[in-house]
Amino acid sequence: MKHELFFLLKDRAALLWMMIAFLSAMVAVLLGLNEVHQQRTALAELQKLDRVERELTLEEQSDWGSAAYYTFHLTYDPPSDFAFAAFGERDVSPWKHRIRMLALEGQIYETDADNPDFALIGRFDYSFVAALLTPLLVILLLYDLRSGERAAGRLNLIETSAGQASRVWVTRTILRLIGLYIALLIPLCIGAAIESTAITTLVGASLTLLFYILFWGALVYFIANAKRTGSANLTYLTGMWLFLCAIIPALLVLGVNNSVSLPDGGDIVLTQREAVNDAWDIPKEVTYTPFLERLPEWVDYTDWDGAKGFEWKWYYAFQQVGDQKAEALSQAYRDGRLKRDELTSRFSLISPASFIQRHFEKLAKTDAAASFAYETRVRNFHKDLREWHYPRLFKDMPFDAEGAIIEVPLYSPDATE
Amino acid sequence: MSQIVAIAKEEWRYWLRSRLVQIGLIVFALLLIVTSVLTASRVSEIRHDREHQQEQAEQTFRDQPDRHPHRMVHYGHYAFRAPTPLAQFDPGVDAVTGQSIFLEGHRQNSAMFAQARGTARAGGFGSLTPALIYQLFLPLLLIAIGHAAIVREREARTLAPLMSQGVNGPTLYLGKGLAILTLIMGLSLPALFGSGLAITQGESAFAVLSLYGAYCLYLAIWGALILTVSCLVRSRGIALGLLLLVWIFSALIVPRIAVTWASYSLPSEGKIITDMRMNEDLRKLGDGHNSADPAFAKLRSNLLAQYDVDSVDELPVNFRGLVAQQSEGELTATLNKYAEKRMSQELEQSKRLDSFGVISPYVAISAASRALAGTDLSTHHRFLREAEVLRFDFVQGLNKAHIEKLSYADDMARNKDEASGKKARVSSENWQMLQNFSFQPNTASARFGQAAASLLSLLIWLFGIVFIGFFASRKLQP
Repeated sequence: MKHELFFLLKDRAALLWMMIAFLSAMVAVLLGLNEVHQQRTALAELQKLDRVERELTLEEQSDWGSAAYYTFHLTYDPPSDFAFAAFGERDVSPWKHRIRMLALEGQIYETDADNPDFALIGRFDYSFVAALLTPLLVILLLYDLRSGERAAGRLNLIETSAGQASRVWVTRTILRLIGLYIALLIPLCIGAAIESTAITTLVGASLTLLFYILFWGALVYFIANAKRTGSANLTYLTGMWLFLCAIIPALLVLGVNNSVSLPDGGDIVLTQREAVNDAWDIPKEVTYTPFLERLPEWVDYTDWDGAKGFEWKWYYAFQQVGDQKAEALSQAYRDGRLKRDELTSRFSLISPASFIQRHFEKLAKTDAAASFAYETRVRNFHKDLREWHYPRLFKDMPFDAEGAIIEVPLYSPDATE
Repeated sequence: MSQIVAIAKEEWRYWLRSRLVQIGLIVFALLLIVTSVLTASRVSEIRHDREHQQEQAEQTFRDQPDRHPHRMVHYGHYAFRAPTPLAQFDPGVDAVTGQSIFLEGHRQNSAMFAQARGTARAGGFGSLTPALIYQLFLPLLLIAIGHAAIVREREARTLAPLMSQGVNGPTLYLGKGLAILTLIMGLSLPALFGSGLAITQGESAFAVLSLYGAYCLYLAIWGALILTVSCLVRSRGIALGLLLLVWIFSALIVPRIAVTWASYSLPSEGKIITDMRMNEDLRKLGDGHNSADPAFAKLRSNLLAQYDVDSVDELPVNFRGLVAQQSEGELTATLNKYAEKRMSQELEQSKRLDSFGVISPYVAISAASRALAGTDLSTHHRFLREAEVLRFDFVQGLNKAHIEKLSYADDMARNKDEASGKKARVSSENWQMLQNFSFQPNTASARFGQAAASLLSLLIWLFGIVFIGFFASRKLQP
């Protein structure tokens, strides 16, 4: 054992691969920490600006209707304590969003997306290093263990002198895997310490990584043999990597997307727009009927004051009816996405690379489920806004800017369903 | 010359005997065919859908009943971006950016419902496209087949007899190079075929050929690199390890670090802050729905003087429509200012990203490929600009109807009762002014210009490596 460790420390190629593993993981963690820091700074600034802007806007208003129309409310999903390790959905789905009391279906699909070139290539985060780079490093560390000794003419000598032939190879394999694991784990622990990541999250990620490395180690151990040359072994194993890390995940995405179809998102917005636009031309009762079905408590407050020609309560009622008309489509769109995610999750075990990627995103709360949860919080907050404004609109309460500034619901990122 | 051809033939014979090479070629051929067919059918389905949706949106707009013209401004319209013909080879940013925009008065909406948002997430490299296979994975096949080309002769101790027969280093290099080059030409045929199909859909042959040429150039860089490494090192294992290391850096690590660096060194401000700033500017312009807004006092006094009347009721044109027209113009100028700023910042970020093409040929080919296929960021920006022109034109067309076809008195009485509301409408004939929209890619030469910088770095890569390799082969010794 001691002898084997000494042997490893003299193996310059093995040290090179471990060094590359360490540096990649370190760079990924540092870039991740920086990105998370930038997101938090941006959010802190936005929260401040959002409050100031709302106060200024509210002070200029004279009735509840225009107050609700002109004030925006910031909603956001702050990065978790492990987000530095896996950006996941955050590159394509919104994590900050300003909404107002108009129909929600027209607002919620807007994205504050970053440069599309970025999402196309992907980021250099820890989950990428773990899921795609690590298997290649395992392969490069282990492919030539036996074939290399044979080429050097030492294979028989080693196998006979070790007593049990397989023991020496297992020891060498495990020592190299431990070295690689440590090289990858140190940067992760440093990042977790800086972010004060929950210990269960860190342990979960470390164990997943360990099993992943062991899986690839075992695969290499059984595929690489002494009968082939080292370069033939390496070629076969690289092909294996390509199959498990690129082709299977792509097939999985293809299969899932084809088996669960999504309604065209444009139809949701279109339905909502048509409903809201038509409301101007149709009799007020037609708008109020579906509205009152949902909110019967306002049945005595819908009298039309013809002199004004326009009433805010009616305006917001048809905004809500617009959402109600699009509800079925919108629900189908959400259900479809959820179904796709569940299916992918169920089948992700066929590709360890998909599994570890998804598991890291889950721990980092940057997966589809976290993105749905954020969307749900935004929907609930929008509901709170309506519930807070409706009494003021329907009972025609006198406008009070001071009171509005203090009492209007404020989005909280921790609100649970 | 005949020696070179003989060496190349011998290399091919060696390859064709190897089971590994056979399997590799078959697997990649299948992979290329399957992804080409799948991508092409998906893209053509999307194109068909988008074109249909565009026609339908136009039809719906024109079929609207008589209405108050400003109601149609808010009713709005849609612009769809149909994928370009070469998107079936390289879909580029199409999957990440939304493909439709809702167009309405007073606002510029962003493109919504990118495919990437609804799609399943399974890690790996996402969906495979022919372009991705050429850019990322074909170099791996070339490495697997070609890494031993020269070093094998050294290991098998056949280099000395070869050289004693009068084969010098450069001849050997050229011979093996010819073999790899013919292999590359063969492997590039599916690309030529796949992108060639685009010609039947109206794509220019020049664009298709330059795209094909760019990929040949890229693969040739790998071929030259493989030979050079094979010439320089002592064992196959080292050659393969070294080439894999280069591949890992060039295809996996550098591009992603380039992305993170570009976003770190030039952070996007984000839509929310931009919107806040913009709203502040917009508030100064006055509300175009409210003709009593003090912001339009000057317009009012000018008009009264021009027509020599005392009040807006006496004007022969509808004052509310004029206010809407003027305010839309000023507002659009402000919106465009912010949109242009955002787009130029994105382009600057992408330029920084593309500049990594100097270190990684993968970055260079992917940028060149998107530009030539018309699926790059700047094409998406052009779509946004064209959609904006469409938006502005129909809104101002409606405002024109508002000014000329609807009297101010009827307009002011529109909320009095149902009959007055009906009177304050204009005929649906006015909706026919809506322009048809069909998004076309840039001309082939303009796209070539966009790709020029990346193509140049690919050329420099090729010449640099061939030069080093040729130089190294002159010193080749058994």
